[in-house]
Amino acid sequence: MTFGVRLLVLVALTVTVSVATVTWVVSTRARRAFESLDDQRTEALISQFRREFASRGDEVVRRVEGIARSEAALRIAIELSRPGPDYSQFVNEAASLAQAHGLDFLELVSHDGAIVSSAHWPARYGYKADWVLEQADWNEAFLRSEELPNETALALMTVRTVSAGEKKLHIAGGKRLGQEFLNSLVLPAGMRALLYHNKQPGFDEKSLTGASGPVPEAGKLAPLIERVLSKGGESTETVDAREGPETVQAIPLAGREAKLLGVLLVGSSRRELASLVRRIRTAGMVAGGIGILLGVLLSYWVTARVTRPVALLAQGAQKVAAGDWSARVDVRSRDEIGELARAFNGMTQQLLEQRDRLVQAERVAAWRELARRLAHELKNPLFPIQITIENMQRAREKAPEQFDEVFRESTATLLEELANLKAIVGRFSDFAKMPPPQFETVDLNETLRRAVRLFEAQLNAPGRPPITPEVLCDDNVGSVRADPEQLHGALRNLMLNAIDAMPAGGTLTLRTRRQNGAVLLEISDTGEGLTPEERERLFTPYYTTKQNGTGLGLAIVQSVVSDHGGRISVESERGRGTTFRIELPTG
Amino acid sequence: MAAGLAESATRPRYGSTLRVEMQADVRRLDPSERPTDAAEAAAKDKLETLVFERLVRLDENGRAQPALALSWEHDAAAKRWVFRLRAGVKFHDGTTLSPDKVVASLRPGGAWLASAGEGAVVIQSDLPEPDLLPDLAHPRQSIALRRDDGTLWGTGAFRPAGSETGRRLALTANEDYWGGRPFLDRITIEMGRAPRDQMLDLELGKAEFIEISPADVRTVEQRGMKVWSSAARDTIALVFERGRPAVEDPRVRQAIAFSIDCAAIHNVRLQRQGEIAGGLLPGWLSGYAFLFSKVHDPARARQLIARMEHPVPALALSYDALDPLARDIAERIAVDAREAGITIQVSTAPARSDLRLVRIRPGSLQPAAALADLAAFFHLSESVNLLPRSTHEALYHAERALLEDFRVIPLFHLPELYALSPRVKTWTQPGVSKSGEWNLEDVWIDVEKP
Repeated sequence: MTFGVRLLVLVALTVTVSVATVTWVVSTRARRAFESLDDQRTEALISQFRREFASRGDEVVRRVEGIARSEAALRIAIELSRPGPDYSQFVNEAASLAQAHGLDFLELVSHDGAIVSSAHWPARYGYKADWVLEQADWNEAFLRSEELPNETALALMTVRTVSAGEKKLHIAGGKRLGQEFLNSLVLPAGMRALLYHNKQPGFDEKSLTGASGPVPEAGKLAPLIERVLSKGGESTETVDAREGPETVQAIPLAGREAKLLGVLLVGSSRRELASLVRRIRTAGMVAGGIGILLGVLLSYWVTARVTRPVALLAQGAQKVAAGDWSARVDVRSRDEIGELARAFNGMTQQLLEQRDRLVQAERVAAWRELARRLAHELKNPLFPIQITIENMQRAREKAPEQFDEVFRESTATLLEELANLKAIVGRFSDFAKMPPPQFETVDLNETLRRAVRLFEAQLNAPGRPPITPEVLCDDNVGSVRADPEQLHGALRNLMLNAIDAMPAGGTLTLRTRRQNGAVLLEISDTGEGLTPEERERLFTPYYTTKQNGTGLGLAIVQSVVSDHGGRISVESERGRGTTFRIELPTG
Repeated sequence: MAAGLAESATRPRYGSTLRVEMQADVRRLDPSERPTDAAEAAAKDKLETLVFERLVRLDENGRAQPALALSWEHDAAAKRWVFRLRAGVKFHDGTTLSPDKVVASLRPGGAWLASAGEGAVVIQSDLPEPDLLPDLAHPRQSIALRRDDGTLWGTGAFRPAGSETGRRLALTANEDYWGGRPFLDRITIEMGRAPRDQMLDLELGKAEFIEISPADVRTVEQRGMKVWSSAARDTIALVFERGRPAVEDPRVRQAIAFSIDCAAIHNVRLQRQGEIAGGLLPGWLSGYAFLFSKVHDPARARQLIARMEHPVPALALSYDALDPLARDIAERIAVDAREAGITIQVSTAPARSDLRLVRIRPGSLQPAAALADLAAFFHLSESVNLLPRSTHEALYHAERALLEDFRVIPLFHLPELYALSPRVKTWTQPGVSKSGEWNLEDVWIDVEKP
């Protein structure tokens, strides 16, 4: 992973964690605030329910009392107090009175508990409603389950009595506690009030009513309602409604003798909270996204600021490694990277200066070596020439008679030494000239074999320990593009060196083969081998380990190989011989 | 009824229009057509008796009395009957009534054939026809003169005015009626009127003669109106549908029979009109109805239900949607059944009902024929074989056999009830006969003393 990518990931992580933390904090605080507000609203609604409940109760009491004080009720009471009363004439009275006084439930009950007339269930005439006789004084309204032909309804009821003589007429009336009642409650947005009528053991969905009628997904409230009915106390639960989570507070509604007849449920939708949290999360995600985007851009910018100089430095280092010591890094920043770049440039500058100094020193050394070699090479023939000329001078002065003979011998010697001088100068001249190679297709194996044949006589020369040639040519080597004369000259030099390296005889091994798309030519001897210092300076011009060597042979070989696009290397182990390896590109 | 006779102390007046309202909708007055709807058929019979007459009529005791036939005689085997026509009778178009026109109008029933001869109508049969007279007294045997253009003329006290269409029928007095011109000039009949509308119209003076239910009797009387009634001819019964698994167990039917508090319904809803029915036929017709006791025993009903192997499913009880009284009775039956542990849902959809509350009127005033009518209506006829002149004992046993499996639970026998404006008077006979026929030719309206 690059420094830029790591920087990008780091920035993205930092932004994400920061935004997530802020989002969580805001969400949590919003939730707490909402729940506090929700509690207040629920409490207000419950208070409103209780007030409305009490108000309805008062209203029921007033209306039933109105009926009890009416002339119609008195007339009915009087008629019923007569012997053998005819109930049939009053069978529809309850309906009329209930309609006139705005009651949902009304029953006229005779002194013996028989229903004389029922507004809400007209067909129940004659049946007993003994519960109205259970209490002499009904003051307030109370909750009661009233049976209807096809259902049981929750009602706010009260009873009043009309006396006519010894017999009494009981008037039991009330109003339904259901959908209409729930509609009368002023509900804040997001809240709802439900009423569960406890008609039978176990939860019944149909017994749950809302302001708009049957409650969808009523089953989700079943555990809460059953818990309230079983324990009798208030309870709160959060349910997952279709329109979002909802906190529902359940309050038991008791009738006479504390019998649980119903449950009031006040639901407060958490949809707004969920929406708020969702918005916060969305905002957080958007902020996070923007942060990450900015992070990317920032990272890119930082990368550009930080890693580009580093990359330039790396490129510069690579150039230096490749030998381009003139490489420079163009970084203008004043930070640590800029300091590093300046140090790099200083370093390369110093390297260049040192190299120049080194080259200069090497040149001086080469010139000194050249001078030493020249002096050495020239001194050898000059000394016989000087001796010969001094002999000739002494013979002229001291033995003129022998002068001619001395002269003849001396001139022969002089000519011979001059020839040596000429040869030395020629070799130096050849190294200096080194013409460019004339390339043509050359069979490398054949060239190798021709060189061996040239040296056969020398390898087996009498008086010298024999050297055994061993030629290992790979037939797949094929041809190469080379100057045959230069290539032959290079081979000849290497073979001469090998022969010179084996004064006690040995094996000269010549080998060709293909390797990695190139052609390899190896020439190995079994001589004494080279020291590391010798190996280090082997190809330096004018360096030689021989008594009569010019030190130009291997330098010429290296020059030829280089001119052919190849490479030459040497492996040597002291006491086991030396191997020169030439690698040439294929033709 | 007695009140009607007492009114004869005031001298009747001619003129005025009697405005009648009824709930049924009679589409056409034609004795040869028989509507499938029982209410329409009953209303049609009543209206047709004002326009068309039969050879004989039945009195309140079911005995034949002269109508268009002034006298009749038959042989010992009752196979040959000779009816001598009343003289001077004319159809509404002025055509004189003659034996051949009567023969053309009669619809032979059973094995008899009618012919004109000897200046009379002769009915000949290969088999004895002891019940020929009740048959001839039936409205379907009304004598009508049918013209080629489809016009029908009768001989009754009133003739169609001809200009009224749709739900309104108008009749005018037959000036040449053999029994004397009726006191009323005109009768208008508004059909298809709901009971509540009829009551309103009566109270507002827009009608003088309306139908009422027993529940309205007290109200009508308290408001100074008059009430006419027929004998308790209608039978209200609970019929268990065959093939309904829920009521196939006779214990369910018996439990429901025990649960119904007929006395409460009779006292309160029916306001003691009619009678509680133990049997299919009313007491005044059969004479033995008191032998069928009506038992209200909710405890026994609960026991029966408690002993059943499986709970009784909710039952559907249907009733006639046009009859408010039927609804009241049905709802009370549901309440009583509920006390016995049976849930009954009341509706007006007969298609899915397990039991029906029906109101049926036997077509005959002859007990055996009436019982046969009811048995056929209730699909009980397979188990009863009645002879026309069966003894009371045989009829009783037959009726008991019909009712023993509780397929039908008779509840009440009810009369037809009518409320009238106080201005409506009758002269010599009740405005509504025991059999339910309207005797409007004897009705007049006191315009001065409402």
